[in-house]
This record gives sequence, C-alpha cells and structure tokens, in this order.
Amino acid sequence: MQKLLVSTVLLAAAGLAQSPVAGVLAIRGAHLHPASGPSLPNGNIVLRNGLIESIGPNVPIPPEAFVVDGAGLQVYPGLIDALSTWGLPAAPARPTAAPAPGPSPATPAVLERPIQTLDEGGPEERPSNNSWVRAADLLDPRLATLAAARNAGYTTAISFPGANVFSGQGSAYNVAGTRSRQMVIEEGVGQMITFPVRGFGGGFPGSLMGIISYIRQIFSDAAHYRSSQALYAKDPRGLPRPPYDRALDGVIASPRLLLPAGRLAEIDRMIRFGQELQQPLVLYGGAESFRGAALLAAAKVPMLVNLRWPEAERDADPFVKDSLRVLETRDLAPTGPAVLAKAGVKFAFYSGGVERPADLRKAVKKAVDAGLSKEDALKALTLYPAQIFGLDNRLGSLEPGKIANLTVIEGDLFDDRAKLKFTIIDGVKYEPAPETAPETNR
Amino acid sequence: MQRMLLAAALVTAALTYAEDFALRGVTVHPISAPEIPNAVLVVTGDRIAAFGPKQTIPKGHRIIEAKGLHVYPGMIDSASVLGLSEIGSVRETQDIEELGDFNPQLRTMIAFNPGSEHIPVSRASGITASLVVPSGGFIGGQAAMMHLDGWTWEEMTVAPSAAMQMRLPSQETTVTGRAFGAGRRTFAEVRRRYEEQMQQVRLFFEQARAYQARKANPALGFKPDLRLEAMMPVLAGKTPLMIVAPKERAIRDAMAFAEREKVRIVLAGVREVDPFLEELARKKIPVVLPDLYQVPLEEDASIDDPLDVPAKLAKAGVAFAFGSYNIERPRNLPFQAANAVGHGLPHETAMRALTLGAAEIWGVADRIGSLEAGKLADLILTDGDPLEPRTQIRQMWILGKPVSLENRHTRLYEQYKKRL
Amino acid sequence: MNRRLFLSSLVLAPSLAAAGGSFFIKNAKILTVTKGRVDGALLIRDGKIAAIGANLTAPADALTLDAEGGYLMPGIVDCHAHVGADAINEGTISVSSMVRIEDVLAPDDVQIYRGLAAGVTTSNVLHGSANTIGGQCSVVKMRWGKSATQMVFAGAKPGIKFALGENVKRSGGGTNFSGTLRYPATRMGVEDVVREAFNDARAYQRQRDEYQTRLAKGERVLPPRRDFKLEPLVEVLEGRRLVHAHCYRSDEILMLLRAAEEFGFRIRTLQHGLEAYKVAKEIAKHGAGVSTFADSWSYKIEAYDAIPYNAALCMKAGVLTSLNTDAPVTQQRHLLQDAAKTLRYGQLTDDEALSLITINPARQLMIEDRVGSLEVGKDADIVFTDKHPLSLYAKVRKVFIDGEVYFDREQDIRQRAERAERRKALIEKLKPAARPSQKKGAR
Repeated sequence: MQKLLVSTVLLAAAGLAQSPVAGVLAIRGAHLHPASGPSLPNGNIVLRNGLIESIGPNVPIPPEAFVVDGAGLQVYPGLIDALSTWGLPAAPARPTAAPAPGPSPATPAVLERPIQTLDEGGPEERPSNNSWVRAADLLDPRLATLAAARNAGYTTAISFPGANVFSGQGSAYNVAGTRSRQMVIEEGVGQMITFPVRGFGGGFPGSLMGIISYIRQIFSDAAHYRSSQALYAKDPRGLPRPPYDRALDGVIASPRLLLPAGRLAEIDRMIRFGQELQQPLVLYGGAESFRGAALLAAAKVPMLVNLRWPEAERDADPFVKDSLRVLETRDLAPTGPAVLAKAGVKFAFYSGGVERPADLRKAVKKAVDAGLSKEDALKALTLYPAQIFGLDNRLGSLEPGKIANLTVIEGDLFDDRAKLKFTIIDGVKYEPAPETAPETNR
Repeated sequence: MQRMLLAAALVTAALTYAEDFALRGVTVHPISAPEIPNAVLVVTGDRIAAFGPKQTIPKGHRIIEAKGLHVYPGMIDSASVLGLSEIGSVRETQDIEELGDFNPQLRTMIAFNPGSEHIPVSRASGITASLVVPSGGFIGGQAAMMHLDGWTWEEMTVAPSAAMQMRLPSQETTVTGRAFGAGRRTFAEVRRRYEEQMQQVRLFFEQARAYQARKANPALGFKPDLRLEAMMPVLAGKTPLMIVAPKERAIRDAMAFAEREKVRIVLAGVREVDPFLEELARKKIPVVLPDLYQVPLEEDASIDDPLDVPAKLAKAGVAFAFGSYNIERPRNLPFQAANAVGHGLPHETAMRALTLGAAEIWGVADRIGSLEAGKLADLILTDGDPLEPRTQIRQMWILGKPVSLENRHTRLYEQYKKRL
Repeated sequence: MNRRLFLSSLVLAPSLAAAGGSFFIKNAKILTVTKGRVDGALLIRDGKIAAIGANLTAPADALTLDAEGGYLMPGIVDCHAHVGADAINEGTISVSSMVRIEDVLAPDDVQIYRGLAAGVTTSNVLHGSANTIGGQCSVVKMRWGKSATQMVFAGAKPGIKFALGENVKRSGGGTNFSGTLRYPATRMGVEDVVREAFNDARAYQRQRDEYQTRLAKGERVLPPRRDFKLEPLVEVLEGRRLVHAHCYRSDEILMLLRAAEEFGFRIRTLQHGLEAYKVAKEIAKHGAGVSTFADSWSYKIEAYDAIPYNAALCMKAGVLTSLNTDAPVTQQRHLLQDAAKTLRYGQLTDDEALSLITINPARQLMIEDRVGSLEVGKDADIVFTDKHPLSLYAKVRKVFIDGEVYFDREQDIRQRAERAERRKALIEKLKPAARPSQKKGAR
C-alpha cells in the first residue's frame, strides 16, 4: 500500500499523465505555519484523502501514513494567487488602444495581458460583456503555466477570463490535476471588471467614463431584469415576456465585483462606485495602497495587491525625467502592504504582471523588507485571499478539515534563496521540476 | 471712441499717399538710447530724419500733434508663419512644410501671401515686421524678414534670407498630447533612427562642403546645384542656422553640431535653458524664445515655466528675441513680453528684444529695430506702454507710410455693431 | 509626493491653525467687481467673507495679513475647462449623455494646481466636443490636495455638454480617428441628432409617467427600464439640468436656440460661440449666455470670423458673457490676461473686464449666490495679486478657497528646490542595481 502510494506520488511529480491518488501523508517534526494561528516550531501534520486530518505538536502519525521527515522544513498553507491567469489559454495579441490620457503611474498590469474569452464582443447590445463566462470552463490542465506556478510554491489560483469590461466570473482552482473539473474549488468567485479604454474607434464604451456609465447601466438593467422576472414568474398572464439575457444573468450570479484601482484617486473612485452599485467589492492593482489604506479601511474594502511593483521602463529614455509623483509611487509601492496591514485592510497578493512565477517570492520579500510582517505576508498569500473570496472554510490555513494544500520550504518562505522542497495539492505531493530550458521546437 | 475716430481719420487721410511728416509733443522711445519726452520726430520719405526735444520741423512736413503719446520702433516677430498659412485646419492654406529632408533652396519670401488676413490683424498690436520661418524635414528653407505692409512680397521683403531653418533629428520617445495620438517609442528604436538621421545630416553638410570646394575651382562642365548652392551663405557664416531646440538634449545637440560644422546658429524655441546659460552667453549664441503661451514642460515644472525663461536668459547676458511660431499669435507677442516682465525680465530688455535685439540677431539692425536718424521709419504711436493691453496702438507707419490698423476683426466689429 | 506636499503648503504658518480659520486682510485694494473698489480690509470667517470696509478693525481672534497695498479680487471662475479629469471624450457615439465627468474626476491632475496658481478657484469641467450631445459636466472648486468628492462644488446645478459644428461632424466625413463613419456629417445632421434625442427623451418621459399612472390605478405592469442616456435629457426638458453647448457659427447657434425652443427648454450657455456677436440679439432674447475665447481665431474654418470683440459686442447686446479657457487648449493661467484683452478690444471698463471671469461665469453656472464677487456672505474665494490684476505685470500671490489658503506663491517658490532635491534623490535611489550578467557561467 505504502509503496503504491509512493510510486503514485512520484509519477505525479514527474508529471506523467496518470491520475494521482491522495492517500495518507504525514510530515513529522516540521516547523508548521498554520496562518490561522501561531506557528508550531516542531509539529506534525497528517493529511488524508486530500484533506488535512490533524495538526499539532504531538498529533499521532497513523501507521499507514507515508511519512516525510520534517526536519529543517517549514510548512505553510498552499500559496494562493489571488488574481491569476495560470491555466487559462493566452489570447493572441490584440492591437492596443492609445494609452488612457492622464497621469496613471499604476495601471494594474493585468490589463496588459488580455486572455481569450469565448465571445470577444459580448452579446448584442451588451458589448465587452462576457459576464457569464467562467474561468473554470476555460481552464486547461495541460498548460505549462500551472507547472510553473507549482514550481514557485503556489497551489491555488483564482483566475479570471478575458479583458472585457465585464470579463467574466473568476474561478478558484488548484494548479495540479489532469481534469479541470477536479481542480476547480469554486467556479464563480466574482466578476472582474477591466477598463479597456479604446478611444474613438471600436464602439461604445471607448473611454473610462463611458465604461463606468456602461457598468452603471448594466447593473441597473440587471436589477430591472430581476424584478421583471420575479413579477413574471409570479403570474405570467397578461405580461410581456422578459427577454433572456445571459449577460445580465452572469452579473446577477456574481457574488462580488472586482474593480481596478492603482492611484489614490482610483481607489477613492472605485470605492464610491462599488458603494453606488451596492456590490460586495474587491479592488485590484493597489500600487498606491500606501496612500489609500485609510479609505479602504473606512469602507472595509479588500485590496488585491499586484506583485509587479511599478518600476521604470526597461528601455527608458534617459532624458525623460519621471515626475516626483511617479518616482514616489515607485519607491513606496512596496510599503503598501505594510500600510494596509496597519490600517486593518484585508489584502492579498497576486501575480498580475510578474512574468516568471519564480520571481514572485522576491516580489513578496520586497514588501517584507518594506515593513510588512512575515505573518501578514503569509496571510496575504494564503488565508486572506481565501477569506476575500469566501473560500476560507476550505482553504488558506493549516486546519483540520481544510483542503490539503501545503507549500513546504527548506528554510524561510521570505528568504528568496530558500529552496522550495515540494508542494502538496489536494493531498498529493509535487516536487519542483528542475529548471529546464524553454522548449525550442514542437 | 473719439480718439479712435481721430486715428481713423488720420489713416484715411494719409492712406492714399505717403508724405513727409513730424510728430510733435511725443515721447520718443529710441530703444538704442534713453527716452526723450515732449520731443519732435521727423520722417522724410521712408526714413527717420531726426528727432529731439528741440528738433525743428523742416518745410513741407505735415505736423501731427502727438502730445501725451509715445512713439516706438515697430515690433518684430522673430518666428512666425505669417503669409504662409491662413486657416490652421485646412491643408490647402498651408505653405509651411515642404516634402523632403533637405530643402535649403526654399524661400518663404516668395510664398508670402500679402493678402493674408493675418497680416493686418498682427499689425494692430504694433508688429511691423516678422521673420517668416518654414519647417519640414531637417532643413526647411530660408526664413525671410518681411515688412507687414506692401502690395507685393517683393516690396515687403526686408531680408530675403535672414536665417536657414533647421531641426536636428529628434530623440524624443514620447509623443505628447493629452487628447490624441499620445504614444511611446522604445528608446533603442529612437536611438537607431536618430543615428541614421544624424548620419544623413552630416552627409549633407559634407556634400555642401565638397560643392563649395568644387565651386571654388570649377571643373569644365560644372553645373550649379540649387540645393547645395543655397548652403553656401551658411557655410560662409553669413546666414545663421536657426535650429529649433526646445529641450536639453536638442539644445546640446544643436550646439555640438554648430561646433563641429563651424556654422553660426540661432537657437529657437528653447525651453530647458538652465544648463546652458553660461555657455550660450560665452559663445554668443542668440535665442528665439519659445511661444510663452505653452504649458509647463512636465508635471514637475514650475508654474512659471516657460514665462521665466526670458528673465533667466537676460540675467545671463544671452541675446534673445520673441517669436510666436504661429499665425494667430503674433498679435500677442507684446503681451507675452509683458508676461516675461511680470516674471522678472526688465521692461527695457523686453522692449529691446521685440525691436532692436531682434533686428541685430537677423542682421537688419542697420535698417530697422530702433529710432535712429537714417533708419527706416517703422513706427508705432501709442497712448501708453505697448506691452499692456490697456494701451491702444493709435497709429503705425511702415517705411514712412501710414498703415491702416483696420483688419478683418475691426471690420466685422464695426459691421455687426450696427446690428445690435 | 505632490498631494502631501501641497497639503502642507495650505498651512501658511502654524499660527493659522490657532486663528481658527479667520483671516483679516488689511491694507488692500479690494475689487469687489459688483460693488466697486474698496480700499481697506476684508475679514474671512468660517470660510465666508464676513466683512469688507475701509475702516474695519481686526478682531482679536483673526490672523492678520498685510496686503501691502496689493489687490484682492474674487476667485476666477472658468466656465469651460477640461482639467482634473481622467477622461474627456466618449467619442464613440453621437449622444453620450450617460457619461459623467464626475465619475472620472482626477484631483491629482497638476493642471488643477496650475489653474489655482493663476487665481482660478472654480471650474466647470466639461466633456469634450466630439459628439453632438456629450456627457454630464461637473462644477468643481480647485481644492488642490483634496479628494474628488471634496472638489465637487456642492449645490451647483448639474449640466451637460452639447457640441455643434466641425468637431462633431468630423467623424462623419471619413477623417475621424478610427476610420469608421459616424452620423452626422453635416450641420443638418447635427440638428437632427439633437431633435431625435429630445424626441426620444420625451417618449421616455411619457413612458415613465404612464407607468406611474397605471401603477397608481393598481394595474400589474412591468416597470420601465431606466435609461441613463435619456434621463439627463429629461432633466434638461424639465429645466433641472443646464445645457452648455460648444458652437462656433451663427447659423448653428440660431439652430440650437430654435431646436431648444421647439422642445421647450433653454440653452444656458453657448460655449466658445465665436460668431455669437452676429446673432447677439437672438441669443439675448432666448436668454442664453455666451462663454467665449479672448482672441483665438482661424485655427479652423468655423473660427475664421472669430473676433476679439465678441465678448464686448455680446455684453453690449445684453447677453450674459464670460471668457473661458477650454484648458488645456488655452491655459487657465492666461484668464486674467484674456480679460485684460477686452480693455483693448472693445474698451471695456475694468469691472466689465473682470466680470467676464468672475461674476458672469458664476451666473452662467447659477452659483452667483456663492462665488463670483467679493460680497459679505459669499464664499471666501479670493485672489491676492501684487499689482492690478488686469496688468500683465501682476502676479498672483495667494489664493483662498472657502477661506483657506490653497496657493501661496512664496511657499511654491521655496518648495521648488526641495522638490527638485527629492526627485534627484529618488532617481538615485531607484536606479536599478547593476545586475550581474545572467549568462555568466551558464551553458
């Protein structure tokens, strides 16, 4: 039995296309960081059938367990990318519109990576609206981005389709598996809004304010749709039939709204807009979180912080002097998480524009170096994203009954030189693949 | 109102023929010398004959009582497109930019439309002459100093080729403009293109020098080359290159270029002057100010940018003149000068830059720019400081001839006043 | 950072806080604009002008400022600006009445500070002129350092931008930016767009009323869908929203007046209205105001008959007239100069010239009970200049909004070096560390 399990795990780790089976696995004598409570310098954790069975200083290790010696290992809840594209097919490059006018030192980088959706334009009269599309339905387990995510220590991604105004529903899924339906944790965690400012071509809405007013109209239409349907459902006789509208169905089905906000002015604007729409709100971007923390705290709005910290363009003209404001944002953006933590704002990190998942830990370390406590940093990678998306009854901490997603490091998670030992996803152990040269031919 | 009628009557009486005249009781502002209150200024033919507090009026000169009024030399716009453009958005009315990168042979003088409505409109503010500047490519053509009155361009030309307009290749990565078309190029791309273009520019100058040598000892069958021929006064240091260079890098490039090619330059449109003040003064490189109605260059620029540029140049001892770069704004040139005065430029330096200073830069100070005996009688008569809008320009003479201050705007004003 | 920096600059001196927001400005030449000139003192209390007089005595609790013979004038009101917003045009459609400038106010736009530094205290931030019926505008006070919400001029009547002429028909002429054609392509089409839109708005209004009637009768009816495009137009029909219409030529001005009259509403202001002087009588009769440029002309065909006497002629015809900037097209820092130009073009009096940028635009925006002149009880929006503000040699030294100092020239000058220093230090700090070559030793 034990042997069988071992070979299965090995097979899975090697990435062979055989369905891994989670049996009983225990880590003994490791430094455990549950995220939900104080760390245990020397504890055991037992996983059974893909779930955490027990955790504690002296919890017994069942005889049937495959045991990993935890000496020298730090065990964390599996890391969660709070706004991801891992596992979703990349869209072909599309012509970009002229940049939005106005000072924007901190446009969320996720906008620069449009990904494919089922229906580019949205249904009739609902342009740029794919509200009903779910990331879970686009998830492709074969994609290399998933393996790269595991190699970086991540176990879960919360991903959103497309770069439409209504981009569709985000889904939470684990980043390992052979069938997407088994990977998905929750198929609809929120509706992501982006602001694809297109200028004069390409139809309404083409500007930021056009997009905002369009969203306003859609939510009003959704409310109208719902009340008309209710009235009709009560007794259809004598009433005109409300038309079927999947774009509005998608909006109605979304449990929360994600709005982009980088600058302070945008944070302020989006908080007020979310309040106007009376939607549970999550902001993403957050380059100027260090300026907007008080607003977020007062409104009790969580922030997803892009780990691609604002920086100078690589091929910058040496004679173009960035403004003091841009420079200050660049300098202080990594302090944002510490400021958010201090203000009591719930926040989570996301991979946004970081090109190599391996750089993510370095990016997190920047926030730690800028004053964020390691406890809070860990939570922002685990428990907080789970809480923000309503997944904390399943994910985000090392607690009995939760999904057995673990990130195990030889050393400290926030020491970017410390080696990732393995991840455990749904109870299955994945060794990081050795760095390989990129594929040259196919 | 009454004053205006008076002025109008003077004009209509004088328009039909030129006559010798004298201004009596006037305060004379020669620019080249201190002002003289309550003086007499005598104009004979197209020249200033004499002036002074006790100047006698020769026979046959009509006397114009000008007590309480002021006479100044007419003001000079050192960079406009007057006569080359009528309506900004209508391509067919533009004769500013020719195709091609090197066009030294082009002459603005001959495309100067004497019938342009912009000419009398500009005059109404006291502008009597303008350097008319082409653009396009790297060498846009010859800028001419033109009088703002006359029947033909020939009559109106003060100097046919006061400067050779030039713009060095740009290294700007950012195309600015908040509304439309803003975009970026990568710096690597810009550098590559810049190097290629600089190579072309150097090559052109090499060709011109080779031509100069060939021309000095013409072989049999030597055929003049109109383009290169036009460069000869530039290479000889007779005609300055007027290089448009607003920002630090462009200014640096332009000065390095002048050094290497050993040519005389005038920098135009300079904005980022701080690093160059000492050098500009030492090398005696004159400057045409930027359009002072422009916005500050960058987000962090001071609220005084570029209004404080003239004061900085003046303090450093750099010679400069005002330019409108425009058809709409020559009439605002005195107001821009006033803005500069508000930002620390001495009033007399401003007046000089609008008159004699400009004439000196463009090599026409022997004829225009100040009130001196023997100079052309380009005069304005005002009821006060010509830089303040509160002041009315009452009369104008160009080449000793009274010039109407009527224009499209006053005509429409008078016409529609009747409809009220 | 800018915001912080300028926030701190609001505080003139520590003693200000102690003064409890009361200022006593003495030894000033006070240009009230509506009530002549007073040489004396002005008292600010609780953000309002509490007293103006030749022989006022300073209250003990007020901070006294000596104007040293300088001038006080009302804060400048710009009836047409595109500053402080992250978007200006929703140019994709001919009727974009659903979009709101207020949704995209950008309090961090440095143009606000620049306008403020020139004495502008209130701006009507308008949608652009890309389409016949543009977006909803937002009247703001130039409270630099505050949030978008705090910038909004509370209580100002809402407005909407219309636009006629070349800009809006350009997209129909095949020369627009996207290459697609958009109706209209002629001034005839522009009128049609206006009439169609209000025809729709009327129908929407009726539909809404009908629903209420049927609901009141106890009938089972589906509620009508709210239409955010038509609602602001219904507000126009009901006189609850001001129309600010970009226009140039006299024919289109007359067209718009008549189209509005057909639907029973009034145009509040004709923006730019460069040929307004040709139909000034008709404009006065309709009751529209004109907000024009000082002397811009000839940049396009429809601006060829623009004259700098436009403001003077309109005023003479009894039209409520103001000067605007269209900033950043022309700059707010030139508004005083623009007003001064009417001393030459049309020979207006000082008060008339100043009214063009103060009380008149305030009246056009229907905020004249709050701003636009120096009168007891009005908001303490005050500009302090060293010389007469209509002299081009004058400099703005301080600007008050609601009795707070939002701009102080001396402070601005002091901070320039400090800001440059900080910028330099940050550039140094953020320089990417020289990276060891990644290829080194790798095979």
